[in-house]
Amino acid sequence: MIELEKVSYTYPHTVQPALHQLSLSVKKGRCVLVTGPSGAGKTTLCLAAAGILHHEYGGRKEGRVTIEGRDVSGYATLSELAQMIGIVFDDAEAQMIFTTVEEEILSALEHRGLEAQVIEERLASIMATTFLAELRNRSPHHLSGGQKQRVALAATLALGNDVLILDEPTSELDEHATRRIVEILNSLKAQGKTLLLVEHKYAHFKDMVDTLVVLEAGSVIAKGDPEEVLKDERIKRIVIPDFRGVRSSHLTPAVTDTAAKSPVVTVQHLSHAYGDVLALDDISLDIHAGEFVAIVGENGSGKTTLVKHFNRLLSPTGGDVIIRGKNTKASTITDLARHVGLVFQNPDHMFFADTVKDEIEFGLKNLGISDGDRIIDAALEDVGLMHTKHLYPRWLSRGERQRLAIACVIAMSPSIIVLDEPTTGLDGNEARLVMEILKGLQNKGHTIIVITHNKEIAQHCADRIITMEKGKIISDSPAGGR
Amino acid sequence: MAEILQYVHKDGFFHRLTPVSKIVFIIVISLMCIISINLVFLAGLVVAVLLLAYISRLHREVLQQSKLILIMSIVFIIITLITMPNGTTIGYLIPEGVPLLGGSIPITQGAIEIGLILTFRFMILIFAFQMFLLSTQPRDLVHTLEKMRMPMDYILMFIIALRFIPTLQIEGNRIHEAQLARGYNPGTGFIGKIRSVAPIVVPLVSNALIRSTVLGLTIDMRGYRTGKRTHVRESTLKPGDYGVLFAMVIASCGYIVLFMNQVI
Repeated sequence: MIELEKVSYTYPHTVQPALHQLSLSVKKGRCVLVTGPSGAGKTTLCLAAAGILHHEYGGRKEGRVTIEGRDVSGYATLSELAQMIGIVFDDAEAQMIFTTVEEEILSALEHRGLEAQVIEERLASIMATTFLAELRNRSPHHLSGGQKQRVALAATLALGNDVLILDEPTSELDEHATRRIVEILNSLKAQGKTLLLVEHKYAHFKDMVDTLVVLEAGSVIAKGDPEEVLKDERIKRIVIPDFRGVRSSHLTPAVTDTAAKSPVVTVQHLSHAYGDVLALDDISLDIHAGEFVAIVGENGSGKTTLVKHFNRLLSPTGGDVIIRGKNTKASTITDLARHVGLVFQNPDHMFFADTVKDEIEFGLKNLGISDGDRIIDAALEDVGLMHTKHLYPRWLSRGERQRLAIACVIAMSPSIIVLDEPTTGLDGNEARLVMEILKGLQNKGHTIIVITHNKEIAQHCADRIITMEKGKIISDSPAGGR
Repeated sequence: MAEILQYVHKDGFFHRLTPVSKIVFIIVISLMCIISINLVFLAGLVVAVLLLAYISRLHREVLQQSKLILIMSIVFIIITLITMPNGTTIGYLIPEGVPLLGGSIPITQGAIEIGLILTFRFMILIFAFQMFLLSTQPRDLVHTLEKMRMPMDYILMFIIALRFIPTLQIEGNRIHEAQLARGYNPGTGFIGKIRSVAPIVVPLVSNALIRSTVLGLTIDMRGYRTGKRTHVRESTLKPGDYGVLFAMVIASCGYIVLFMNQVI
């Protein structure tokens, strides 16, 4: 179906090739899963395999890409390629064009030259396959991440193509939403569709993958039957994150006895409502200095809403939040920023400076620290980004940007560091590196609070796991294996 | 968070109309309010549009912009007071007792009238366009504009411009929160707004550019630009549409007659 022969590609205005002598064959009815570190060229590979690179992008291209035996350059337009290939990009939100779920799918169906009756039948069938029937009149902007991904997938399925290319379809999804996507893709494979998947969650897809491809710096470093490929320990660490041993690494006695210390975060009967929707329902908890807490739960369970109260981005509808002995109602967000650092899920929401150094300096200036060179160097050293000090933040890979976001916060030296899904979009090695950095910060005396969908992280890195469901805490217990 | 200028799924009078009737409605109402300088007529038109919004169950959404309109009307009136003094002087913007500047900006009846005319015009235009956008699915709009022989690329451009409004709204909020969490305190008021530009706008524009690339590719790869289309669930003219079209014809004729006789 798709053949890439010694494909090399360099983006315009860059020197380093994004793909280097890459050869890959995706056979009909097979599922190929591509993984690798961020910045390895996975998205570029998707664009190359869909023929988009040869049509829409400039830059230097070498090698040959064929779809159904025909060179992609031979296809006149992207619209012609769209008759053969369906592609779902990683940013689901950017693929929502219309204003209701049904309209989104119907609009894609209308351009396939089908009879009106067939369109209605196919619409109903796609809605059922992707579990979207109940959401048909909802605005895509009001859907959860998982629901948006399903809509983007459904609109692509509407095209009825046999080849589907999916770029990280589950990156921001929780366990439940990921399982739904896996379920859908499984049934598509059973229908004989050819799938090229870029994913970091190999474990979820392992039953359907025929070929596993690992990319690094634009080249294939491993390819073949998953079991064979994973025999190599180095490769395995990239594909499957292994957080074992993070908790016990460099543990200093000073932070082991947390219970005796006074709490740094106290939440008392906290409720929060968005309009009529109760997002937090009578939450009470204490977090002590030096603790490493994981907050787990499905999307929409109230995790992010809870932590936004710690630095007063949200104010309680009812109840109180006390940070280091002071009620947040009596503090400003700027004051709280000295004590609570919050790293959001998407690091791109904060970067605006011209260099990595300036980006970190921004936070320091906000706190009135003018001569921060030593602090900036120390923060960059902590996250292993010293070599990027004078680079433009947005040129860094996703993994590096995530670490830079952490550096921006730790430079401000807050005693409490809160991170929302810090391993999104990272490969096994990068995810472990981030967790080790956090562990190091805990050992230096910081209190670490991590929101995560990933149970492995909670079990192997945190001291304590708080599980939330529908705005309530349903369990709060020490992590296993202590 | 409420989305600005986005379709809301409802079953109301305006929702049931075809986009053609709504476009005719917008054109007639816009021309009337732009040409007319009669304060009473414009006030009547504001009431009529709001009444229609109420009947169509869109009044709540439409009135969401009240704050913006109020600020705008104050600005209009102040500008006209300063630039177009005309007619009887009622008082002074800066009281006469104030040294040096006292009594320098007279509040004139003519200037207030012009300010109100501008305010009413904008209210009518904003309310009418809002009702149109809130009640029309972009898909129907694409079909209608296509029938009106508008080039597909221009139609898609229009749809995308509308579609980016809530995206920028949501994204802007997230970025604002991320910067606040970094201790950023640009201050309030006008100076604060100016100072907060770079940390908010730079990420907003960078992210929007990346997003627009993906959106552009999606449009191509879903075949929206192929031009061939099966006509499904096309909206057809219903009794309501004929009613609106007829009402617009009568209103236009009545308006022309009154205008010619210099009544309004």
